Amino acid sequence: MINLQDPESRVATTGEYVLGTLSEEDRAAFSEALAQDPALQTEVYGWQDQLLSLSAQAIPVAPRAQLWQRIDTTLSAMAAALPRPAPVDSTAPRSPWWQRLGLWQGVSGLALAVCLVMAVLLVDRGAGVPGQTVGARYLAVLQSPKDQSTGWVVEVQVGGSVRLLPMGDTGAVPAGRALQFWTKLQGAAGPTSLGLVKAGHSLELPVSRLPGVGAQQLFEITLEPEKGSPINRPTGPILYVGRTVAL
Amino acid sequence: MPIADTPPFDYEAALLACARGERFAMRALYEREARWLLGVALRIVRDRELAEDVLHDAFLQVWQDASTYRPELGSARGWLYTVVRHRALKEVRHPGRMQALDPVDLAELSDQQQAVQDTASERGLDSDSLERCLQRLDEARRACVVHAFVDGYTHEQIAERLQTPLGTVKSWIRRSLNSLKECMA
Repeated sequence: MINLQDPESRVATTGEYVLGTLSEEDRAAFSEALAQDPALQTEVYGWQDQLLSLSAQAIPVAPRAQLWQRIDTTLSAMAAALPRPAPVDSTAPRSPWWQRLGLWQGVSGLALAVCLVMAVLLVDRGAGVPGQTVGARYLAVLQSPKDQSTGWVVEVQVGGSVRLLPMGDTGAVPAGRALQFWTKLQGAAGPTSLGLVKAGHSLELPVSRLPGVGAQQLFEITLEPEKGSPINRPTGPILYVGRTVAL
Repeated sequence: MPIADTPPFDYEAALLACARGERFAMRALYEREARWLLGVALRIVRDRELAEDVLHDAFLQVWQDASTYRPELGSARGWLYTVVRHRALKEVRHPGRMQALDPVDLAELSDQQQAVQDTASERGLDSDSLERCLQRLDEARRACVVHAFVDGYTHEQIAERLQTPLGTVKSWIRRSLNSLKECMA
């Protein structure tokens, strides 16, 4: 139970939020309060800066060269699936040409096509059977059919693992319900359950749990009863859905 | 006085550019901070590959959430490190995969602390006032705050490590935070 009324408790709770020592319950309560309370946001920023120099106690480690590439590719796939809203200030003198032209508005299909072409080129260069090449990577951006917002990203590494990453705020799951994760290969009769997932939490599974891997493979998250669908088929509404592109 | 031997880098401008969808700004932030951020994540998750996953996910989150950053409230670096630390903490508290974490020799890591303090000022991180205020706390209380921040320990892990009752650790942390806030005001 957090107390943000008492000044000392407020200072301590805000500090603990930034430190990361609040219990899951308290953290959720704090996040909720944070969204409503501008003063609390100011206090969080204060702690972020006041504790920042402690981060210098960790020894720096150079990331492997592929890491940026991986981030960059994921960003491209996300951009292709959902163009970011163009900047509000269209009169800004120094925005790059691709923003000034508003190219990203309404051309997600083109962007996706470019992405797919690139993907094909990359796979071809890999000289393997697409989808079966060990080490091939696929990415799916799962979006809400309702408002096209991105909720999750699925990363599949052939011969490795499937990762489901939460993106943005997917909202709370109604009491007594759960999120269930599914996949369906193109042409398959029905989806395969990959288990329940928690809102805002990532999940990693071995690729061997999938019925197969391929481009245009469907991944989706549906709202199901608390213990999952009783019939091993989606019963609730599709909250987020997307198909893989090969990287 | 901080030694300005590195060219100034405008973190705030870079993060605001990310919010406008400018990928090169993200790249610049990455080039600038990735190895420090990976160090922070690695210290918490104790696994190289997992730490890179954390950094990948954190940078996507930075991209996604950059528009929520409020430059008038605090530094972009403070915001960025919080995103990465919280991603790493989530990973260890609620691992999405089964992961046996090797115990790491912490004594060894803390030996390197002095060298690191020097680096902090070189990197333009003002560690003086926090350091001064931490020094005012007694050692065990200071250790609680440092373990929580740097190692990402829970109350329970700190209690175990310091062989101190859980309730005591909890109140030490809360009181230490109040003392720090007062001292740094």
